[in-house]
Amino acid sequence: MAILVDKNSKVMVQGITGGAGRFHTERMLTYGTNIVGGTSPGKGGQVVFKKPVFDTVTECVENMGADVSVIFLPARFVKEAAIEAIRAGIKFLVVIPEHIPIHDMLHVRREAVEHGATVIGGNTAGVITPGEANLGIMPDIAFAPGRVGTVSRSGSITYYVADTLTRSGYGETTCVGLGGDPVLGSTFNEILWKFEEDEKTKAVVLCGEIGGVYEEKATEIIPKMKTPVLAIIGGIFAPPGKRMGHAGAIVEGRMGTAKEKLDALAAAGAHPCKTFTDIPEVLKRLGV
Amino acid sequence: MRLYEFEGKELFKKFKIPVPESHLISSANEAVAAVNEIGAPAVLKSQVLTGGRGKAGGIKIVKTVDEAKTSAQDLFGLAIKGFPVESLLVELKLDIKQEYYIGITIDRANYMLVVIASGEGGVDIEETAEKHPERIVKKPISIEEELYTFDALAIAKQIGIPAALLKQGAAIIVSLYNVFKKYDAKLVEINPLVLTAENELIAADSRVSLDDDAVFRHSELKEMGIEMRHEEGEMTPRECQATGWGIPYLDLDGDIGMFPGGAGFGIMGNDFIHYYGGKPANFMDSGGGPTPERLAKMLVLLDENPNVKAIFGARFGGISRCDDFAKGVIMFLKDHGLSKPMVMRMTGNMWQEGVRIFEEARQASPELFKNVEFHGIETPIEEISKRAVELAATQKAGN
Repeated sequence: MAILVDKNSKVMVQGITGGAGRFHTERMLTYGTNIVGGTSPGKGGQVVFKKPVFDTVTECVENMGADVSVIFLPARFVKEAAIEAIRAGIKFLVVIPEHIPIHDMLHVRREAVEHGATVIGGNTAGVITPGEANLGIMPDIAFAPGRVGTVSRSGSITYYVADTLTRSGYGETTCVGLGGDPVLGSTFNEILWKFEEDEKTKAVVLCGEIGGVYEEKATEIIPKMKTPVLAIIGGIFAPPGKRMGHAGAIVEGRMGTAKEKLDALAAAGAHPCKTFTDIPEVLKRLGV
Repeated sequence: MRLYEFEGKELFKKFKIPVPESHLISSANEAVAAVNEIGAPAVLKSQVLTGGRGKAGGIKIVKTVDEAKTSAQDLFGLAIKGFPVESLLVELKLDIKQEYYIGITIDRANYMLVVIASGEGGVDIEETAEKHPERIVKKPISIEEELYTFDALAIAKQIGIPAALLKQGAAIIVSLYNVFKKYDAKLVEINPLVLTAENELIAADSRVSLDDDAVFRHSELKEMGIEMRHEEGEMTPRECQATGWGIPYLDLDGDIGMFPGGAGFGIMGNDFIHYYGGKPANFMDSGGGPTPERLAKMLVLLDENPNVKAIFGARFGGISRCDDFAKGVIMFLKDHGLSKPMVMRMTGNMWQEGVRIFEEARQASPELFKNVEFHGIETPIEEISKRAVELAATQKAGN
């Protein structure tokens, strides 16, 4: 068991003929991800790594049965591409590009809710269920099948945390990169609940950072969970009002300082961690 | 990115939101002519990209032309929260009967736009929201919806705009919503919207914050002279240099040069340095899959920063490969040279290859590497953070 994606998912790539799309399609295939095809308008009929290319998502869904899509397109095309996928019946969508306009993501989210689809990203390294499927740009080397789930707003933090879990023998069920943008396709609490419902996941590490409100919202769901949640938050010493690489990582007024987030999560019952090496120690203490 | 008050008002004017007649001046000498033209009493308002300028003495009312010059001189000598005043907006002083607040922003947790309004304008709206939530009207709207006049009329009525001006009030609220949508805003505010003694509604101030990632589709902003900037304040020269190279970079006030991988660890790595008693001199993000050339430029920024006493490097090779990382560092050492101690760690994709490339280069030219300590997967990142703090402390003691 895992969440969101496994070896049976039928994955397609939007932008499969582009530089990034092609490069990562090959990596995902090498990992064993069940990629069934992709799209590139005007290039229908071509073949990439033995996978058929279609002009539209609907054609890829009808011909190949695709149910998951990964988007590798420039940010300005994401709104169109995501809404196309959702309306074509894709139920799980991973949006890799960064710098997507906020208003565009609001449109995408609305569309996803209306059609019962889950959108991850933008500005995410992707989602990986170790040993089964790798959607996005995450490095295989950090991950191993196991019993802890992770959900993070940052790719590099996901790697460090997964590497720590892998090397301390816990391994991971699924690692979800929520994304670094200010408005995201999914929230922490939606993903936390999916982990709660997954029997194999024995604990979840939530990795947040300064800015936004998604960590605070997670405090509503953590008290309802039986699965223990560990929390680590980046930006405890960040300066206010400056953009730190991620557009989402801005401290807006009194909202969303890292310290406030960590305190709120701890008050809700999460187990706070300062550095990566704290994580296996806390898991051990919890008997995971 | 935040706009200056005068820039926000330019956008308001395009959407027929009434604003006071004004002149933008950049020296005290221009104040006399401006007040002569507009009339007295007038208001001189400092144009800075930060809040709280009124409390900081950045706004002055002048009754005569003579007063205008001396007050302008005072204001041009002012720095508000460290930001020097470089221009003033000169406006006719409004005769205020009542002040309202109108704002539009994004409720990110609920994925909605929200119109916020209050009969109490001219004060900190967050404070009103905390102390008297009942005095605030909130209307959530889904992104694909327009704001209808009947909804705006209801808002105008709820905040107490007089009956005779309800239609004008509603038109201003609808226009503000259209400004928000048109320019991909994160926040637009009129605080205060003034009801004058002559029974007119006028936007006395503007606050506009736009989405940096959507600026590409608003070429008209560039024509108005509105360029990329921080949410608060202008960029330092080094930040401008980094931006020119396409590297997300911020100057901080410490002495450890940070050379991390992605933004996430860029942020958390700074925390690690603090946990072990040090202070970072910067924030930096390499971006995904940086080329050796880009990595070399990142190191140039740090080596040439006189505040930097030691450099901390970390690479978790995901898409980026550690052999490219090692090549970038060696390129920098050969072409530029390193003038301060550096400790770094590589792990992830191709890390053994990275370490091998380093080892070979060191054997070939040991003098290039005399200031470099490098580690692989065996040393936890926490140990590297500690070591960077030690190196900076030793360096400082040595000076």
